[in-house]
Amino acid sequence: MLVRDVMKGPVLTVGPEVTLEDAYGLLLEKGIRHLPVVAEGRLVGIITDRDIRLATSHLNPKGPCPGCTRVEEVMTREVVTAHPLDPVEEAARVMRERKIGCLPVLEDGALVGIVTGIDLLDALLRLTGVTEPSGRLEVRLPDRVGELARLTGFLAGRGVNIHSLLSYPEEGEFVRAVVRVNTLETHPLAEALRREGFDVLWPPKKPW
Amino acid sequence: MVIYREEYRLYNFGPDHPFSPVRLEMLTSLLQALGVWRAPLSPPEASREEVLWVHSERLVRRVEAASRGELSPDLEHYGLGTGDTPVFPGMDRAARVLVGGTLEGARRILAGERRVLQLGGGLHHAQYDRASGFCVYNDLSVAIRHMTRAGLRVAYVDIDVHHGDGVQWIHYEEGEVLTLSLHESGRYLFPGTGHVYEIGRGAGLGKKLNLPLEPFTEDESYLEVFQALVPWALKAFRPDVLVVQAGADAHYLDPLADLLLTTRAYERLFRLLLEYAEAYAGGRVLFTLGGGYSLDAAVRVWALLYHVFHGLPLPERLPEGWLSTWEARLGKPLTPTLHDPEGAYPEIPRREEIAKRNRLTLQRLTELVAPHLLH
Repeated sequence: MLVRDVMKGPVLTVGPEVTLEDAYGLLLEKGIRHLPVVAEGRLVGIITDRDIRLATSHLNPKGPCPGCTRVEEVMTREVVTAHPLDPVEEAARVMRERKIGCLPVLEDGALVGIVTGIDLLDALLRLTGVTEPSGRLEVRLPDRVGELARLTGFLAGRGVNIHSLLSYPEEGEFVRAVVRVNTLETHPLAEALRREGFDVLWPPKKPW
Repeated sequence: MVIYREEYRLYNFGPDHPFSPVRLEMLTSLLQALGVWRAPLSPPEASREEVLWVHSERLVRRVEAASRGELSPDLEHYGLGTGDTPVFPGMDRAARVLVGGTLEGARRILAGERRVLQLGGGLHHAQYDRASGFCVYNDLSVAIRHMTRAGLRVAYVDIDVHHGDGVQWIHYEEGEVLTLSLHESGRYLFPGTGHVYEIGRGAGLGKKLNLPLEPFTEDESYLEVFQALVPWALKAFRPDVLVVQAGADAHYLDPLADLLLTTRAYERLFRLLLEYAEAYAGGRVLFTLGGGYSLDAAVRVWALLYHVFHGLPLPERLPEGWLSTWEARLGKPLTPTLHDPEGAYPEIPRREEIAKRNRLTLQRLTELVAPHLLH
């Protein structure tokens, strides 16, 4: 999944000379939190609702920015951006590490979209496959070649379609696989997997 | 009034499939052996037009083609030809026969009948544009639509262990349909939906209620939250009729789920539902069957429903002849009593914690819907 698959566009922008009041009004009206600042077709900064509130608040430990009335006086100038072909996990990593809430997306210097934390949550939902009617299996696999193939091969052999498959490393040389499958019969499936030697964590084995 | 016809058993995905018509054969033969079987009303099958009240033309076309053995390459996109919902010859008519039974129940209620028990149907996973989870056409929604078109307010109560997603989504924006599903949490179990936050949209806002319960919930906690939620919601909604999907798969013997109810809880649930129908819906109630994949358990649960429905005294033991016939046919022993034996499964160590979480979920749900439901 790439940034271009989850980003939103066209993007609402403001010029640097716009007043803070107008910019804040726009954010409220559109129900958004980030405004890229564009001058002469070029991205020159970004401003958020929080930037504006801080700049104008008496609660700001430094006091309200004296005489700040325009976007260019408050905006962040060094903007972290993404490219449409970046993988979503790359965008997530950058946003997490820099503690920022969005990335404007640039292609050949032009602003073509924006990706926010909300878009990444949507991406997560799609990646987990919860939007399809399905049951969920959780299996612990040894972290070595061919284990996932063994699991998916087994499911294929039973005629079970996989809507999504997430796997992540666990401690102690294991990989946890979370599979959403298009069947009501996750219990019989889990039993069959156990008989094949798989360590199925969910659904649990009934004690009778 | 009981609705049933032999052709319900045409709805058959094959000998190894859990949604087995053998359940109906066992159930009706048990009621006959007990001497309580009264000739049921035989319903007509639903027409294509009636199915189209709640389903898309393109889904119906594909079901019809698959029934004739013509398999279109996009079948799986419509939830057909999968491991759960394979296609079989005559599938369209078999599904319409079940729809016809539930629809006939709705017609009878509109004609003045108060209590109807449809011994089939309950195909609550079928969606507008998609077959799903053993369900081809949604008989419940066709019946509900028939009644709302006649001006009735319908409260749908779903006690199947799986979320009643199809019925919920089909009526998601309708203010005259309350859907209320108690089910094992979709965090793990099919279909994955049925979260407390799914509360309807538009005119339906606050009128779609979901109580996802913890695995290993057991009788006591289930009855506690059921009795707190259902009369509260019905009182606020003021329905004209209850439609109940009485799936039997929340039973502890069920091979597909883990809610762990016993027949004692089911008996209480059926009595409560009849009481609630009297108190909040003018006595009008339409029961259907639903899921239930342990033959032993499902047949006893539905025999209980039949007895409670008719106000009959409950037999303790099941008839010997019936038991021996079916034990021979299935090649395994059956529970010889209508109720489960006491202490049939080991104690669940996390019982208190589970009850607490269920209470919290109930609280969250009522807080979410109260502003919309109580006005």
